[in-house]
Amino acid sequence: MSLVYSNGKTVRVSLEVNGKKLTADVAPYMTLLDFLRKEINLTGTKHGCDDSNCGVCTVLVNGLAIKSCTMLIMQANGKKITTIEGLEDENGLHPMQKAFVDHFSVQCGFCTPGMILTAKAILDENPHATEEEIREGLHGNLCRCTGYVKIVEAIEAVRDGEYNPGCACSKEV
Amino acid sequence: MRFDNYFEPTTLAECSSLLKEYGSASRLLAGGTDLVPRLKNRQLKISTVISLQGIPELSRIEKTENSMNIGAMVTLRDVVKSPLLTGSLKVVAEAAGHISSMQIRNIATIGGNSCNASPSADSVPGLLVSDAFALISGADGDRSVPLIDFFAGPGKTVLREGEILTGFSIPRTSPFTGATYEKYTIRGDTDITIVGAGCRLNLNKQGVIESARIALAAVAATPVRIDAVEKLLAGQKLTDELVKEAGNLAAANISPISDQRATASYRKEMVSVWVRHALVEAQKRAIAAIDKSNEQSSSVEWTYYG
Amino acid sequence: MTNMIGKGAKRIDAYDKVTGKGLFAGDYINQFPNLLYVKALRSPYAHAKILKLDVSKAEKLEGVVKIVTGADADVDWENFPKSAIFAKNETIWAGQGIALVAAESLDIAEEALDLIEVEYERLPHVLDYYAASAANPASVIDPEFETREAPSFQERPGEKPKQRKSPNIVGAYSLDAGDVDRAMEKADIIIEKEFWTGKKTASALECANAVARYDSDGGITMWSNGAGVHGVIKAAVCRIFKMQENKVRIIQPYMGGSFGSRLNPYIEILTVLMALKTKRTVSFEYTRKEMYTSAPSNWPCITKVKIGAKRDGTIVAHDYYLAEEIGAAVNNTFFTGRLSSSGACCVYNIPNTRMDTCAVATNTVPAAEYRGLGCPEAEFGIECVINELADELKINPVEIRLKNMLKKGDRNPYGELITSIGLSKCLQACADAVKLNEPSVQPENGPWRRGKGIATAGKQNTPLGRSEAEVRYNSDGTVELLISCDENGMGITTSLAQMVATELKMPMEKIKVIKGDTLVTPYDNYSASSRTTYNTGNAVKLAAEDCIRKLKEEVAREFGVHPSKVEIQNDKAILVGSHVQEVDIPSLFRPTSPFSQGNWGLQKGSPVVGKGIFCPAPIHMWDAKGKSDRVWNWFQYSACAVEAEVNEETGQIRIINIASSADTGNPINPKLVEGQIEGGVMMAIGFFVNEEHLFNDRGEISNSNMGDYRLPTFLDMPKNKNFASLINPDPLPDGPYGAKGMAESITIPVGPAIAEAVYQAVGVRVTGYPMTAERILQLIKEKEAAL
Repeated sequence: MSLVYSNGKTVRVSLEVNGKKLTADVAPYMTLLDFLRKEINLTGTKHGCDDSNCGVCTVLVNGLAIKSCTMLIMQANGKKITTIEGLEDENGLHPMQKAFVDHFSVQCGFCTPGMILTAKAILDENPHATEEEIREGLHGNLCRCTGYVKIVEAIEAVRDGEYNPGCACSKEV
Repeated sequence: MRFDNYFEPTTLAECSSLLKEYGSASRLLAGGTDLVPRLKNRQLKISTVISLQGIPELSRIEKTENSMNIGAMVTLRDVVKSPLLTGSLKVVAEAAGHISSMQIRNIATIGGNSCNASPSADSVPGLLVSDAFALISGADGDRSVPLIDFFAGPGKTVLREGEILTGFSIPRTSPFTGATYEKYTIRGDTDITIVGAGCRLNLNKQGVIESARIALAAVAATPVRIDAVEKLLAGQKLTDELVKEAGNLAAANISPISDQRATASYRKEMVSVWVRHALVEAQKRAIAAIDKSNEQSSSVEWTYYG
Repeated sequence: MTNMIGKGAKRIDAYDKVTGKGLFAGDYINQFPNLLYVKALRSPYAHAKILKLDVSKAEKLEGVVKIVTGADADVDWENFPKSAIFAKNETIWAGQGIALVAAESLDIAEEALDLIEVEYERLPHVLDYYAASAANPASVIDPEFETREAPSFQERPGEKPKQRKSPNIVGAYSLDAGDVDRAMEKADIIIEKEFWTGKKTASALECANAVARYDSDGGITMWSNGAGVHGVIKAAVCRIFKMQENKVRIIQPYMGGSFGSRLNPYIEILTVLMALKTKRTVSFEYTRKEMYTSAPSNWPCITKVKIGAKRDGTIVAHDYYLAEEIGAAVNNTFFTGRLSSSGACCVYNIPNTRMDTCAVATNTVPAAEYRGLGCPEAEFGIECVINELADELKINPVEIRLKNMLKKGDRNPYGELITSIGLSKCLQACADAVKLNEPSVQPENGPWRRGKGIATAGKQNTPLGRSEAEVRYNSDGTVELLISCDENGMGITTSLAQMVATELKMPMEKIKVIKGDTLVTPYDNYSASSRTTYNTGNAVKLAAEDCIRKLKEEVAREFGVHPSKVEIQNDKAILVGSHVQEVDIPSLFRPTSPFSQGNWGLQKGSPVVGKGIFCPAPIHMWDAKGKSDRVWNWFQYSACAVEAEVNEETGQIRIINIASSADTGNPINPKLVEGQIEGGVMMAIGFFVNEEHLFNDRGEISNSNMGDYRLPTFLDMPKNKNFASLINPDPLPDGPYGAKGMAESITIPVGPAIAEAVYQAVGVRVTGYPMTAERILQLIKEKEAAL
């Protein structure tokens, strides 16, 4: 029987968030965004619109950039999620985070988590992305403060190896 | 957003019977990028969501003797990246690749785009100019419908209760074929299309158009083909005058609406512009296919798919 | 010695923002387990009578705690912020609140909205100046404007419209400098044109969001992303709800951009309303749609520009009309046209200037501050006319501007003295960066045509009152800076820390900025009109100086020297004189134990606190001719040069190359200034080329989302190598370290520069903006038809 949920009860989901396995009992009409923000208190992923246009809710699901506001928690069941909170580790900030700090790519900060994760996804797939490809890959993420100039600069700096050692941006997701 | 029931069937039969049971109070969940926002905004209130995640055969792209079959649950990302969609089938990948942003394409599906049945669905003209069929499965059996007949109005398809779109079947076509999809927007792909012009030209070895397909998005209640232009082009060689005439004829054959994205008169004007551009590009690609076959001078088999 | 002025110090809040650790208003709700959620029902009609409003079914829904409507007599609706006034018998804009629901969950609140029954009777509406300013308009937004008793602070000469040619004209201002009519007679060439502009929304990425905690003593603690914790929010809460100042605490977390739009406490007042009524903690977040329909927009302006000039390019007279569309703002006390029209007096030395301005109400969302305060709207036409003048007279567009530009020491048409203007350098720098004098290289084939254009702009800095700051020097030599100005994202907390670091000669790492908590941080009005670096910066400088003075006194007393013999450098005090001695300041803070006596000197754990208060010099009220020698504090300036290409088939505009230059006064942090230039240019490209409110037949915004409202994306900016951000400062004598502000002026010249580039490319002149593809194509077709 394929019934997963029926009125009033909850569903058990299992997923990995930032390298940690967890299970939770949720209503399936919860979005992945609400799950992250309200259920497990990872508020770094933001809510900015209701029509998946702004991109501030972007997280990585099995390494792919996804707008978590339009994904039901059920679609994330069994998957590996990376949020902004998962980038910093015992060695410090992720190169993309460092680059955003160094290049003044952050102003109000609301688009920043989504921007950093999407940028990481772009370079993970295309380590030599040109400025055009970077802009094309990111045009689903809006920013109202920076004019995008220093964001592109930061990503190009990571691409060009300024934050090596090792491969600048490939981290096991 | 709230719904009462959530199912993850593992077979099409199960899915179909659930759809029949819950009827119009249910919706299928593919990628969710259209369904979830509408549920969140309370534009749609239903009791039951039926996910297609658990039916793996819907996610395949397969080449058979006479057709290319694309499963409904193939993500747009996978359509774009598929090594099988080459030659005159590249248009299917390109059209799908024009939808929204990278994040959306990572989970949105090609079947979902058709089932959502927006008049401006970008993947549809790519499929229409390729003569695609919609493959439908239901409790009463399977059927297939030419994709042009799949759409019944904005947001409406011909799917009956209990039926599921399982994929698309694209028949082989003649060797010297070029196809393209031009999406016109103000900002880029994240805009809803103002005018989308798909075009395929099947040429003979001498460069005469044997048959043409013109498919437009966002200019009518559904994606449409423009028979008048297709007839005009058949049997002719493409010239500058013919391109212009085709563009104007296409514009004369549509009655678009005015909305927050564009006025009707602007849409008409853009149809003539972008049909012209699509024709020129399709021609270029078809000629390239002719040139390539001249170079290779090998028997024409499946080369036009690769 | 640490001099941090002019250095690109890394932002002190960058770590919090790149890790997601910094909390924004909506991130606080997890801390309140028993939260109520608020949702609003909004009018779908621009103008309608409310025949029936029945909330009874909604009230009965389990989990609904309270419903408030415009009919509730115990709510002081009239004094609410304009866009938060709920409709009573009549709704006057689509998006106006009809009912406000508080429920135990968001889902229940949304369900409750569906259960509210409303019956409307549609009435005619007016959506713009042309419809609203008719003598007998189809709709009158504020019928009681004449009869309502105005509070005394509104009485200013020139503010009341003398003859209202329409009942929707609700404010007026005029300026009559020199003798315009006589001067016009002497002009060799006169250009007269009318311009319009569209309505827009700042669209900051964070929607309005407030959490109000109901405290056990009936007080309120609120976290919100509104601006002005003291000067806007707390002041409004205390005034409107008659609450004691010691029972209201407003905290500003990290805030996701403002651009002026958050200077209205619309969500804060509604949230507090519900918290007081339910005596519970309440959370309210506007939907993105509400940010368009129900949160303030800018104010569009219609301008009529008539400029007379001599053949050599000298401008002899300027006759200027401006009308501000203020939306459905009843009881207007703010809009008169004075703010916007100031743009006409910033840049050029035109002693014969006449301005006739007014405010017009319409059935659209009430207007409020938006980056530029009406100057982008006001100056667009002027710069377009000057470019046209240059073309007609065959004078270089840079030359004609330099010829007429105000210089330091001149007086502008108001009569104000110009003390700082670096605009000529800005202009030249931009012209050079895009090689303005070299015509564009046209693409070999295809429908795109290229052209170049340049424009200048100025903007006043509205004197907006008082800023205070506190610098606390702790007993271990670390420092806290306490301020209440808004950190909208521009980086002000970093540049203020740089000032403290410079004064105290200490590294930035030892300075922590505490901001935006009315219980803790001292008074500041708000961040608006680019005032913060100047106003709060001056207060911070004074606070640091005060702290140093106190430290010096303590050290001096300790060592028996005069304070003038002490220098403070970080955590060292240097005693100068016949002996040079270095003292470790932390060691002077004495600990006490239970067994020793307390001490009156430096006590461990008790910081030395310096305080600073700064107010700009007062206004001299303008006379009956609208003139005054001191109205605005100072002016910020900018120039912009653009190379654009226009698609002759579609009408689209693409920016290929852009140079923007700001006269910021001495920049405190050039990297932050660059960020403002880049962001401002992008914002301007958006609102000059693509952004506008579109309306359906109900008068409701039809593009109330971030897709159809066409905000600029990564693809709308030119490549980085084709973007030049140029800083050309002219120090402001009374700015802190010679700094002023600049984040508004940079937006203004972008549009007219694009308009001129369009003219150079395809030979058509726009008469308004946004310069959408449809409008440009229309102009191109009209030009072709005329040939």
